[in-house]
Amino acid sequence: MPIVEARALTKVFRRPDKGPGLAGSVKHLFARRFQDKVAVDHIDLSIEAGEAVAYVGPNGAGKSTTVKLLSGILVPTQGEVRIDGLHPQRDRMTVAHRIGVLFGQRTQLWWDLPVAESLAVLRDIYGVDPATYRKRLARFDEVLELGEILTVVGRKLSLGQRMRADLAAALIHGPQVVYLDEPTIGLDLAVKERVREFFRSIRDEGTTVMLTSHDLADIEGFCRRLVIIDEGRIIFDGDLEAVKDRYARERILHIETARPVPLETLRASLPGAQVTVEDSPLRYAVRFDRFTMTAGHAVTALAGLTDLVDFRVDEPSIEDVIRRVYSGELVLG
Amino acid sequence: MRSYRALIRATARAALAYRLNLLLGLGAVLVQLIALLAVWQVILAQSPVNGFTWPQMRAYLLVAFAAGTVVSLMGDFRMAFRILDGDVALDLVKPIDYQRARFAEAIGGLWIEVVLIAVVVGVTLALTGGVDVPAGPGLALFIASMLLLVPLKFLIVYVSTLACFWTQNFMGVQWARLAVVNLFSGALIPLAFLPGWLATTAQWSPFAGLTSTPALIFLGRVDPGHGLVLVGVQLAWVLALWFGARLVWQAALRRLTVNGG
Repeated sequence: MPIVEARALTKVFRRPDKGPGLAGSVKHLFARRFQDKVAVDHIDLSIEAGEAVAYVGPNGAGKSTTVKLLSGILVPTQGEVRIDGLHPQRDRMTVAHRIGVLFGQRTQLWWDLPVAESLAVLRDIYGVDPATYRKRLARFDEVLELGEILTVVGRKLSLGQRMRADLAAALIHGPQVVYLDEPTIGLDLAVKERVREFFRSIRDEGTTVMLTSHDLADIEGFCRRLVIIDEGRIIFDGDLEAVKDRYARERILHIETARPVPLETLRASLPGAQVTVEDSPLRYAVRFDRFTMTAGHAVTALAGLTDLVDFRVDEPSIEDVIRRVYSGELVLG
Repeated sequence: MRSYRALIRATARAALAYRLNLLLGLGAVLVQLIALLAVWQVILAQSPVNGFTWPQMRAYLLVAFAAGTVVSLMGDFRMAFRILDGDVALDLVKPIDYQRARFAEAIGGLWIEVVLIAVVVGVTLALTGGVDVPAGPGLALFIASMLLLVPLKFLIVYVSTLACFWTQNFMGVQWARLAVVNLFSGALIPLAFLPGWLATTAQWSPFAGLTSTPALIFLGRVDPGHGLVLVGVQLAWVLALWFGARLVWQAALRRLTVNGG
């Protein structure tokens, strides 16, 4: 049985439809008009225990709304959610013990208390016994390096410190399902890497993770399953590697030669690849399908023609694929 | 219960972080108290008005100050801010009852309010002379009334703060509440000074329990039987509001929209 299940999940927000300027606002006081905005539109989703799912989509696509519906924060307009078979509103207390939620832009730490005390309050709220609490804290400390920040008051934390503390806060009760909504937003590379390592450690322990992020580097190497949402609808749900194999086949070999080489010569030596001149006459880009040609083959062929000064291969990234999906250039089947 | 006790402790500790804020707020309230004392002293210098003598009015104002300070410093701002900002989303994924959790926070802030009251009342009494403390049954009723004041005031503040789910604004809600509470509770002037029909309405409203009821009992202006009825009204409102607030909360949840993040 899936641990998270959504059927025909729909959320419609009602927005006041005001005309422009003061006149519009005044008019709205007397003749109230509203516009329905469908944020999430009949989403079906089921996540098995232990899965790590990437949930991506452009701004305003309905990602955060979905997470709020799946965690029971918002009441769906239509459709339903089950967490481990439970109804998130009716069984709020039980469900709360099983899920952990992190919103990168919000904090659940007490502003006026040191981090250690915020965590202790959460320990008591979730009824975590002291031994388990110490064990978990020690484990979080290994990856997140909490030691230095435990004594700092909430409002004095830097963004990176706050996010690390918030991650610990979201997971201190050992939830089975974790929703991470933009967990690396605004973090520097070093902290990002540490946070990603932490995600991997919780995934490896069997926690079900649903990760929403604009930084697709968070996703690569972490999630096996990719779900793409746009305008409130799921437009793709499938294996992330399969998407890459199918849509991110192109590799680009950038070369720099000692002397200019006629394009025709290069093209003739590499049938099946596209060769173009880059920013200087000594630099060329060779595009090829990684399933029909290897980078090694291309380099060997080119080295036979001319002296290669330098070369570099651009790996296909899921980011390119998703960018093309967002722009409508690519439709995933 | 462990979770609510943890919240009480956390708020009690966090209250210290607001020392400066509290002192500034206290300054404002003190100025108001001194002004009211001065005005009433002049008005009542010659003869009692509506049966209030100067010493009685002084006692009334002190009780009104104490009642006004209880459950006033912590909580509503934070709660309103979390609703308006959408951080309330994180309160909803905790295995605790939202209303009880907020009540626990109100209780956590009590100690610092009680300290403030003790200081101000002590200084005022030292400067202007003592007050008559009611005898046995009156005192017991007064204490019961002050205790009921805590949940009653919490609930009035809580329900009005829930209005933020609809208004998207807190200042207006707060001002409206203060205006209504000041008039109908007898905090501004004793209810006996209002026109008869208004005084009666106020008397039965939940607001009378915020100032008028404990003050009248303390002054001995109501006999123990009548005092018992007034305390009973307080209790009835506490119960009605406690369960009424749950309905408001249910409605608020259906309205909840959390934008961004």
